[in-house]
Amino acid sequence: MKFYYFHLMPYVMDHDEPSSWVTLSNRHYDPKVGQRLYHEYLDQLEYAEHLGWDGLCVNEHHQNCYGTMPSPNVMAAMLVRRTTRAKIAILGNGLPLRENPLRIAEEVAMLDVASGGRVISGFVRGISAEYFSTGVNPTHSRDRFYEAADLILRAWTEPGPFAFDGRFYRYHYVNPWPRPLQQPHPPVWCPSQGSSETVEWAAKRRFPYLMVFTPITRIAQIYGEYREACERNGYTASPYQLTVNVPIVVAENDAKAREIAEKHVMWVFNTGLRMHPPFWRPPGYMTEASVRRMLENPPPLPSELTFAQADAQGYIIYGSPATVRDKLRVFSDELRAGIVCSGMNGGSHEATLEMMQMFAEEVMPHFRDDADVDETAGVGR
Amino acid sequence: MAAERRAQEPRLENLAVRGTPVHLLSGGAGPDLLFLHGAGGAGRWLEFQTALAGRFSVRFPSHPGHGGSPAAGWIEHISDLAFHYLDLLDTLRLERVHLVGASFGGWIGAEIAVMASHRLASLTLIDPVGIKVDGWIYPFLFGMDVPEIVQTVFHNPMAALALAPPDASPETMALQYRQGTALARVSWNPYLYDPLLRRRLARITTPTLLCWGAHDRLAPLEPCGQAWAKDVPGARLRVFAESGHVPHLEEPAAVADAIVEFCGGLP
Repeated sequence: MKFYYFHLMPYVMDHDEPSSWVTLSNRHYDPKVGQRLYHEYLDQLEYAEHLGWDGLCVNEHHQNCYGTMPSPNVMAAMLVRRTTRAKIAILGNGLPLRENPLRIAEEVAMLDVASGGRVISGFVRGISAEYFSTGVNPTHSRDRFYEAADLILRAWTEPGPFAFDGRFYRYHYVNPWPRPLQQPHPPVWCPSQGSSETVEWAAKRRFPYLMVFTPITRIAQIYGEYREACERNGYTASPYQLTVNVPIVVAENDAKAREIAEKHVMWVFNTGLRMHPPFWRPPGYMTEASVRRMLENPPPLPSELTFAQADAQGYIIYGSPATVRDKLRVFSDELRAGIVCSGMNGGSHEATLEMMQMFAEEVMPHFRDDADVDETAGVGR
Repeated sequence: MAAERRAQEPRLENLAVRGTPVHLLSGGAGPDLLFLHGAGGAGRWLEFQTALAGRFSVRFPSHPGHGGSPAAGWIEHISDLAFHYLDLLDTLRLERVHLVGASFGGWIGAEIAVMASHRLASLTLIDPVGIKVDGWIYPFLFGMDVPEIVQTVFHNPMAALALAPPDASPETMALQYRQGTALARVSWNPYLYDPLLRRRLARITTPTLLCWGAHDRLAPLEPCGQAWAKDVPGARLRVFAESGHVPHLEEPAAVADAIVEFCGGLP
């Protein structure tokens, strides 16, 4: 199994506002604190490479305290020059949120060239709230996503210049310099929430599918749908096409790990993902079929998720090294996920570094049958 | 009495307008009148429509994606809705109609009027949105929960009950989502206006009545109502003292009377 270190870069704070997204005033953001946090977080990512993690993940979110990385490519650029081995996974760029998605083709190609071909390029639509922050019409989200993805993939693979005449994006000259180093292009991943349309789209293109903060039964169901879709498209999914993002807490014993998880991981759900209800459901962001599925079986709001639920439903992994190994085996052996992305939070920078070390020494080595395999070979393109 | 009540029941028809299915309510007798509803008003034949039906032959279609009319993927811009209703007039063989539009429906009505005033015997716009007014940004209803929306749209919150969904079933919630989607498709950004419409208002040659709620907080009389009154040639402005954004729901009889009076006074 491959391990990727995933950072949200949260601005951890407590507040009584109805929403941590879109409307939480940025007067709460202290740039001095932000400076310290960015450096701690980047140190953690660099340390993850040192400890043996296979990949480092950054992502894009806007106008919130949950993740202060509106441009993941900026953070990826900082990592490119400070690391030498680990993959740098941008999970992802919000394609429909850009007015000029050719910039994504350019920026990711720059990163790929500069990093010597270590970049993984996530394509996402952006979560619901981003449509309130950017002004992009959520009813166009899916169509803009497909069109921008098509444009970027063509820009990376077809010799330029060529003209592109889409519904949302139009260019007389598509001819980006540089071209990516990886051929035919950097692996593309699809972090998603399990809509059947995206599953089919990703499976058809062999793009790995990443499930973020999802109950384990739902992961199993969507993985099943993805594997079936791969078979329908004439091939069997590699384990490295099935990726999961789950927070991990490891400590000397289960009780201590539980205490840390309750205090620090639940912040992500209960405060970080607290959202004014309309921001969860902008019109047209989901297909009507997806809306119906959700209405018939409404998931709990993250802000209302209790630790007991998160624990029972497998939203988080916590425990002693032995317990964490057992819980991870569910992902590796039962779900057959090839890659686990996880962030860690020990409550302080130092505690987080210690936790990372414990995980690298006492958990990771037990899952290294595939140490010599390149997880990006033959997938994502 | 019973016969009279039956006469007021609207007839329901399902039409195809150039291939686009339309759920249409019709009722009353007299000169032809087309009513274009606002967000959330699809299929709600209420006191206002009943009052108009006493003097007019009222046609009340649901916009595509609203009420009983299925969504139409081809509708991408507010002008698509305007052409859709010109096509509806052709389908119904109505040469000229009195057009009454409320809020979002008023926006569509204004778009029709700048294209084809000759198809309109009169134009009544009830607290329309649709133009950019300097110094005013329409409050963003898509970012509001229901209590905030009611607070913004209604002066008399009890009037909102008439538009309340019948239940919270998945079916009803899916319809609400579909309606929001159809609305957002043409109005998310720019929000509730067409940048090209305002300077075109000068093309309107139809006699125009503007009905405005004195307490409209979505599109306030000052500056929005005043901007329409200034830019629609010869428009008459009537203000309804006890109304917010939806006077036809808040003071239905008074608004219907104003329309009857206005149309009765036309040459």
